[in-house]
Amino acid sequence: MIRLEDVTKVYEGGTVAVRDVSLDIPKGEFVFLVGPSGSGKSTLIRLMLREEAVTRGTIYVAGKDITALPAWKVPYLRRSIGTVFQDFKLLPNKTVFENVAFALEVLGRPRSVIGPQVEQVLELVGLADKAERYPRQLSGGEQQRVSIARAFVNRPPIMLCDEPTGNLDPATSVGIMKLLDRINRTGTTIVMATHDHAIVDAMQRRVVQLSNGVVIRDEVAGRYETVGEQ
Amino acid sequence: MSRVAFMLREALVNLRRNILVVTGAVLAVFISLGLAFSALAVNELVRINTIAWQQGVHLIVWLNDAGRDGVPADAHENLLNEVLTWEEVANAYYVDKTAAYEEFLDLFGDNPEMVEALQNPSALPTSIRIELADIELYQQVEFRLQQYPQLIQRISSAAQEIEQISAVSRVLNLLGIGLSIVLGVSAMILIANTIRLAIYARRDEVSIMKLVGASNWFIRVPFLLEGLIEGLVGAALAVFAVWVAGRNLAGAAEGIQLVNLQVPNAFFLRWGVVFLLFGAAAGVLGSLLGLSRYLREADGGGRPAGVRRALEPV
Repeated sequence: MIRLEDVTKVYEGGTVAVRDVSLDIPKGEFVFLVGPSGSGKSTLIRLMLREEAVTRGTIYVAGKDITALPAWKVPYLRRSIGTVFQDFKLLPNKTVFENVAFALEVLGRPRSVIGPQVEQVLELVGLADKAERYPRQLSGGEQQRVSIARAFVNRPPIMLCDEPTGNLDPATSVGIMKLLDRINRTGTTIVMATHDHAIVDAMQRRVVQLSNGVVIRDEVAGRYETVGEQ
Repeated sequence: MSRVAFMLREALVNLRRNILVVTGAVLAVFISLGLAFSALAVNELVRINTIAWQQGVHLIVWLNDAGRDGVPADAHENLLNEVLTWEEVANAYYVDKTAAYEEFLDLFGDNPEMVEALQNPSALPTSIRIELADIELYQQVEFRLQQYPQLIQRISSAAQEIEQISAVSRVLNLLGIGLSIVLGVSAMILIANTIRLAIYARRDEVSIMKLVGASNWFIRVPFLLEGLIEGLVGAALAVFAVWVAGRNLAGAAEGIQLVNLQVPNAFFLRWGVVFLLFGAAAGVLGSLLGLSRYLREADGGGRPAGVRRALEPV
């Protein structure tokens, strides 16, 4: 589903964020990107989303080389990828319903389709009764659920999550992870950057560890840290 | 179709939900275009009054009585006919003693002492009133009239004063046009900048929309519509305010005969449309300028060459 071949990203000024990263993520997999701050997790997510351009290497999403994608085609790529961020990135002037519906509006879906689909996904994330609230009227956990609902409403094959539990307390984080797990079971590929040890250890999924922009560990059903490492 | 409806709905909802920022933008348009439109209206008044002053009688040729002192009986008629053939003259007419007395009564009828002092109405001289084709030709006409010394008592001319007024008007006109242009350009910059700032306040929204997969035009159109509506509403308010002010001014100055303070409705109609278009264009331009940067930022464009060079030692 996602393949990275020798991907390197150097920011203006010469900072190497990611160096020669190669990864193959099959369809339906749940992958954790772990590592300390500045290790390159978020950069990898941004590269897969074409928020940043690679400096060298190639990234394939669903078989297409997205590094060669012209700018005007980037929105089409993003419509096939759901995104969840630590800071939720909800539109402050839109209600919960409108925020989720927006992802379908950009696809040009008619209102008759949007209404039921949004209601269904809000039901899934447990926010059906808060559809008319604005983001500022919700707790952090609820805002993240809206963000997940928006990412999943058009059933994308891929979801990229950058520290989705970073701003949440442990109990709320568990709820969010259960939700992502449910989504993953529908066949959606999930790539999640995190440094939440407890979550990674509890989920027992593939773990890709980065350090200074280089992949130092790629383990199936791994833990946050290898045994003996502190 | 659903997309067009969505974008229109988006624009209207955003206008409602960002009412404070929207009010600021509309006020900026209103004040700046109001000033520019006022300057233009004042300029129009100057133009109208200059034309009014330039029209009418420019020269009065006071005549010696015909049939006396060697002046032939048909001399007045002959002179009038002669004057009418001159190309410098747009129109000329004869004012006989009866008409002169009526004119006298018109001017001094409410002053009995003056009327009494004029013991014999026939003492008033007859005259030929001349309207010039071009005010600047008055000296040539005066020169030609001087060829009839035995017939002409004297010549009164308003031309010199009118010419001075015209010169002042020309300067005022230029100043007015210059001021309108300066205010218009300032308006355009102010409006564009205000709307740019409004978009700056919502730049996060733009980046979120892009993350969700919205195309540039999908994001742009509601913002453009917002700018268009703000520009149109502000311009309409400006035109309306100047129109109301103009009406009140004309009403207050109704008794004044020397100056015409009535700006014609045709002016408001013609320039009102221009200002509405101007406001709309400024709104759209402001939105376009304000958005372009944030749209580019979220694009994740090509690979910058400078960065590739930095890679070499890797």
